Parts: sequence; structure tokens; C-alpha cells
Amino acid sequence: MPDAAIPTARVPRNVQGVGPDLEISPQPSWSRVALAGIASWLVPGLAHWLLGERIRGIVLLVTIAATFWSGVAIGSMRGTVDPQERRLWFAAQVCAGGNTLAAYGLTLLTPRHVFSSAPVPTSASWLSAEVGVHYTGVAGLLNLLVILDALARADRRGQRRLHAVRGNEGVP
Amino acid sequence: MSLALSGLFASGLSVTGFRHILLMLPLCLSIAVVYKTLRCAHVRQIVPAALALWATIVAAMGAVGLGLWTLYLLTV
Repeated sequence: MPDAAIPTARVPRNVQGVGPDLEISPQPSWSRVALAGIASWLVPGLAHWLLGERIRGIVLLVTIAATFWSGVAIGSMRGTVDPQERRLWFAAQVCAGGNTLAAYGLTLLTPRHVFSSAPVPTSASWLSAEVGVHYTGVAGLLNLLVILDALARADRRGQRRLHAVRGNEGVP
Repeated sequence: MSLALSGLFASGLSVTGFRHILLMLPLCLSIAVVYKTLRCAHVRQIVPAALALWATIVAAMGAVGLGLWTLYLLTV
């Protein structure tokens, strides 16, 4: 039977790896994969959470957020997330999505006097800034791995659902 | 709210001397945790596998650093 002829179907509870009573939606798998990619970019681990891998998603969220914000705390906001001075590092940081947007937005929204009245010089020492940039850049690259994994899992999940439906067609 | 967050991240830490090398340890740990979280089939395997990978990364980087330092001492 062609795919277009499958509107929705109930999957029985005993189909391994599919989950109980999942509704098979007629939407194409690319939209599910794209949604997983966007969700994972915005919030690291969110796509894994949505795909049912809850503990995995929480571990990824906490680890990547902790790495990113530790880097910002070490190197300071202005010294770390800087698209003008550190373009290549910023490209890596952008892979951390929501974290980078929040840090950059916070930098833009912060009044200048907060930076000028900071007890330690705002442009932290060269070494601190380098360490902070490495932390945030690595967090971004790790999230790139998470995004690719989420894409693969979302694609596999769709294929498994389709196989489960096709396998049940012959079952009375 | 944003002012409080800004104050937290406005000034960086003062990292000097050999202390910055110790900052490699949590970074390697996060790499190991994320990698093993993605690779392990079962969630309970993550912690021991990540710790083993972390120890391997740190030991390998230490060995490479020691080797390069020895090479430096021999040649300079």
C-alpha cells in the first residue's frame, strides 16, 4: 500500500521501540527532522526530550548550558561572545543557539555603567577571555553533535513507525 | 532581572599562572559526558563510560604535554 494511503493508524503496545498507542501522522518525516533540528539548536537536548529520551535530554541541556555559562562567567560577556572581534569563535558559539542568543542579547541590553563599575576590569585578562571563548566555543560544537544526533534519531523514529504500521497490516 | 544577570557575567574571573590548566578538567568532563550521552544505548551506562573517557582524555593530554615539554627541554 502506498504511503499516501495511510491516514492515521494505531500502533499496538507490543511494538518494540515505538511506544504505546502512537498516532501515526501523515506529515512527511522531513518536517519532524527539521523540527528536531530547530528545537535542538534553540535549547540543547529539547529534541531528545520531545523524542522521548527525557533523561538524555536533561543531561545534554545541563552539561551544555553549564559549559557555556561557565565560559561566559570566566571570560565576561563582552570578552567572550563578540561577533566583531572573534568571528570564527562566534560561528562555533552560534551552534549553542539559545545560549548564545541570550548571552549576546544580555550584552546588548546591559547598560554601559554596569560594565564600567565592575570591581574587576570588564575586559578580563587575556587569559581569562581565551579560556571563556574556548568553553563557549566547545559548548557550541558539542551542541552541533547533539543537533546531528537529534536529526538522526528523529529520522529513525519516523522510519520505525512506518515499518511498524506496515508490519501490522498483515496481522488480523 | 537582566541587570542582576549582567552583574554576574559583567566581570570575568582573574585567571593567572598554572591555574588555567586546571580549567581543562571540567571542559574535558563536559566533552566526555556529552559524547557518551549520545553514544551509550542505556542511560545508566553514561556515568562510568563518561568518567573512563574523561580519565583517558586527561591522561592522554597530560602525556602529550609532558612529551612536548621534555622535547622543549632537550632542544632548547
